[in-house]
Amino acid sequence: MTSRPRLATDVNYVNGLAALALFVVMAYVFMTSDVSAPAGFADGSIVASIGYAMFDMLDQGAIEAEGFLVAFIVIALVLDAALDGAVMLARREDDEQSVTALADGGFLSRTKETSSERRSDGDSLLGRNDGEDAGSSDDGGDD
Amino acid sequence: MAGAFDFVPAIAALPLLAFVIALFAGQYMPKRGAEAGIAATAGSLILSIWTALTVAGMTGSETFYNENLYTWVAGVADSAVTLRLGVLVDPLTALMLVIVSLIALLVHVFSLGYMNDEGETGLPRYYAGLGLFTASMLAFVFSNNILMAFMFFELVGLCSYLLIGFWFREDGPPSAAKKAFLVTRFGDYFFLIGVVGIFATFGTGLFAPVEAASGTMESFPHMAEMAIEESETFFGYGAQTWMTILGLLVLGGVVGKSAQFPLHTWLPDAMEGPTPVSALIHAATMVAAGVYLVARMYGFYALSPQALAVIALIGGFTALFAATMGVVKQELKQVLAYSTISQYGYMMLALGAGGYVAAVFHLTTHAIFKALLFLGAGSVIIAMHHNENMWDMGGLKDKMPVTYWTFLSGSLALAGIVPFAGFWSKDEVLFEALIHGVGTEGTLGAMFLLAYAMGLLAVFFTGFYTFRMVYLTFHGNARTDVARDPEPVRWNVKAPLAVLGIGAATVGLVNMAPVEKLTGLHIDFLHQWLDGPEEGGWPDALSTDLHHYEELLHNVPHVDPAYPIGGEQTTLIVSAALSLGLALGGVLLARSLYGVDEPVEHTDKLGGAKALLTHNYYQDESQVWLAQGVTVPLARAADKFDQGVVDGVVNGVSSVSLFTGSRFRRIQSGVVSNYAALMTLSLVLLLVAFVVLGGVA
Amino acid sequence: MAIESQYYLLLSAAIFCIGVYGILTRQNALLFLMSVELMLNAANINLVAFSFYHGNLTGQVFSLFTMALAAAEVAVGIGIVLVLYRNFEDIDVTKAATMRW
Repeated sequence: MTSRPRLATDVNYVNGLAALALFVVMAYVFMTSDVSAPAGFADGSIVASIGYAMFDMLDQGAIEAEGFLVAFIVIALVLDAALDGAVMLARREDDEQSVTALADGGFLSRTKETSSERRSDGDSLLGRNDGEDAGSSDDGGDD
Repeated sequence: MAGAFDFVPAIAALPLLAFVIALFAGQYMPKRGAEAGIAATAGSLILSIWTALTVAGMTGSETFYNENLYTWVAGVADSAVTLRLGVLVDPLTALMLVIVSLIALLVHVFSLGYMNDEGETGLPRYYAGLGLFTASMLAFVFSNNILMAFMFFELVGLCSYLLIGFWFREDGPPSAAKKAFLVTRFGDYFFLIGVVGIFATFGTGLFAPVEAASGTMESFPHMAEMAIEESETFFGYGAQTWMTILGLLVLGGVVGKSAQFPLHTWLPDAMEGPTPVSALIHAATMVAAGVYLVARMYGFYALSPQALAVIALIGGFTALFAATMGVVKQELKQVLAYSTISQYGYMMLALGAGGYVAAVFHLTTHAIFKALLFLGAGSVIIAMHHNENMWDMGGLKDKMPVTYWTFLSGSLALAGIVPFAGFWSKDEVLFEALIHGVGTEGTLGAMFLLAYAMGLLAVFFTGFYTFRMVYLTFHGNARTDVARDPEPVRWNVKAPLAVLGIGAATVGLVNMAPVEKLTGLHIDFLHQWLDGPEEGGWPDALSTDLHHYEELLHNVPHVDPAYPIGGEQTTLIVSAALSLGLALGGVLLARSLYGVDEPVEHTDKLGGAKALLTHNYYQDESQVWLAQGVTVPLARAADKFDQGVVDGVVNGVSSVSLFTGSRFRRIQSGVVSNYAALMTLSLVLLLVAFVVLGGVA
Repeated sequence: MAIESQYYLLLSAAIFCIGVYGILTRQNALLFLMSVELMLNAANINLVAFSFYHGNLTGQVFSLFTMALAAAEVAVGIGIVLVLYRNFEDIDVTKAATMRW
């Protein structure tokens, strides 16, 4: 891991030209397109209307929208699944010991003494982190 | 009630059983398997005679039999072909069954003397081969459809291979066996195509209609007849042309098996086999199979004038051709071999020229006297310690009287001297060829006359070579020590000779057509046998009777008899006198040249023809040249084409795709950035395309 | 007077292309994730802009969902980066090429 920022010198500028070309084309299309003036929002609280739209309470919102309750629930589930997937990917396999992505500050060498000890340590370390992450995001998501 | 017909399959099954017994238990038997063979063929003979008596109507009203016994491939769809095994018994079958089983029995007995007493090894193999040979031929004879016939035809070929190559440790026999197998196989190849063609055309291979529970199953000759009457077309050919093609294809197998020109070259070489095997092959089993097949499906051949002409010409030519070669041979069995080819030529000539009875008659008499001659030759060979050169013999007449007198009887029959068997049958063959040649208009008649002329000329050569053989072998002074003190032969050699010797002298009496025509006595028994009753009986049910064939010959190829010299009787007498005169001329020439105390070779007087004849018209050489000079380069060129062009295209396609694949895979770098760049560029291109083309709409 | 819609689109295209540029030129997996974030948010700008254009809040609600999904994506992406590092001892995406031909 780098300890301080450095200028990236391994940049593939040739490939970057493709991005530039994409921008040129898109800019050309957008600037030459004939777009009428925006309709704008009706008077009222936008944030409140968004909240009502999310919970299918459309009649109370000031601004026109559609109901998104089902999408909301689905997104909540997807987030949960993504977190579980992330944890699963990040969990070290049992017999893997050579490297770890975490900067453990010598923690690894200490856990190398016995396999059982190391496993329990690793589990507890990841489990603790999992618990914290999952708890916090669940809290934030469901509210 | 179990009649004779229920036991017909057993006629073939008994020798098959003998084959199994001889093969597996032969070595524990005192005679090494001969007992099983003799018992089985004796059983077959008894059953055959019983069958013949039944066909003759002596045991009841059932005088014919045609049933499908076993279905081994059942056609599923309506138009699918069903393959069956079945039994057809009509007078022709019954006659042939008796001949084959009689000859087989005598050959088995003779083998006791020729093989066992000579201390041969490998006898169980020998007797197993004989058993299988007999079984195959018998099953072939009573086959009721052409596919079954083909199967047993092939088995017969296989057995001939096994038996000709019996002494496989020597150089000659394996080579001769291979040659016999390959040459006949070459003919069988056409036969196979013909069988497939018949099945494809008619959907059945039945020789005669079968009365089944579901109705009458028609035979293919009958369907062919109907097709010609209604002028149907098959595969773009007219019915008549197509029947000719099919008939000639099947004829390929016949020409191979019956040793007709140009596929006869295997037969003289087949003399390498044990002499009893030669007797069996020549008299009753293998070579007879071809002619029998033509007779069996004569209702089919009678529909095609071209096929008839080809058969007659091949027959006539072969008769003459083989007879000339027989004139210069020095070995006893070689002379007999060429005489066999020649005699089967006569049968083909008769069949081609519309002389169905004559052909069957000659088949019968020939079976008797040729078996006799071969067994007699075998007896001489025993006596001469397996020296077959006639120039080393002489004077055996006094030493082995039984062999001499029986051999003489067979020789007289072969030469066609009245009143021995060969005279009656050969005379009838020539008579039929003559009257049909004169009576039939157009090219076909001319062909018949040409074939007749060749057949007539062959009579002279037949008489000559036969008695050259007799004089050299038995007359004059003994030319070697062995001939002065020949080894005696036992009863098991003499008994078959005696049976056949009497047969050769008398079997002609079964069909003395000339006498019948002259005197009005109804003594043409074979004719009546094959003609069937006037009404009802098997002719109506099977349509394999002479009467039907004569109608067909008259209606379709317009083969009719006519009598060129006066009436029927005059023509008959002239014809008989002519052939008898020629035969006697040959005999007398042989007597004047070789019937002296110290005969010398006269072949040098032939000049250039001598080399030609002794080398069999260079046919072996030309066939080898055909194989090595034409077929091999052709095959090599085809191989080159296959390797170069066909494989080249295939390999080219694969290497092109391999090359492009190896280039294209480079874009699969595995680096995400490259994929993303490609996607971006593609998107840009897509957008540019939309911009240029002005959008989707 | 509101800003014209073209400029929102232009901004969105610019941010998107910056994200694409990052993906195309960089080899660090973490920078990839950041670039992807940029592209997602470019899409969000479009959603909000068209929401305003049509006077309908659906686009704005959708952009919120997009953010939530971006969070999920980052969570999985970080996990993948972690595995990448474990297997190759590096997070250079050009080195993780064992699945190619």
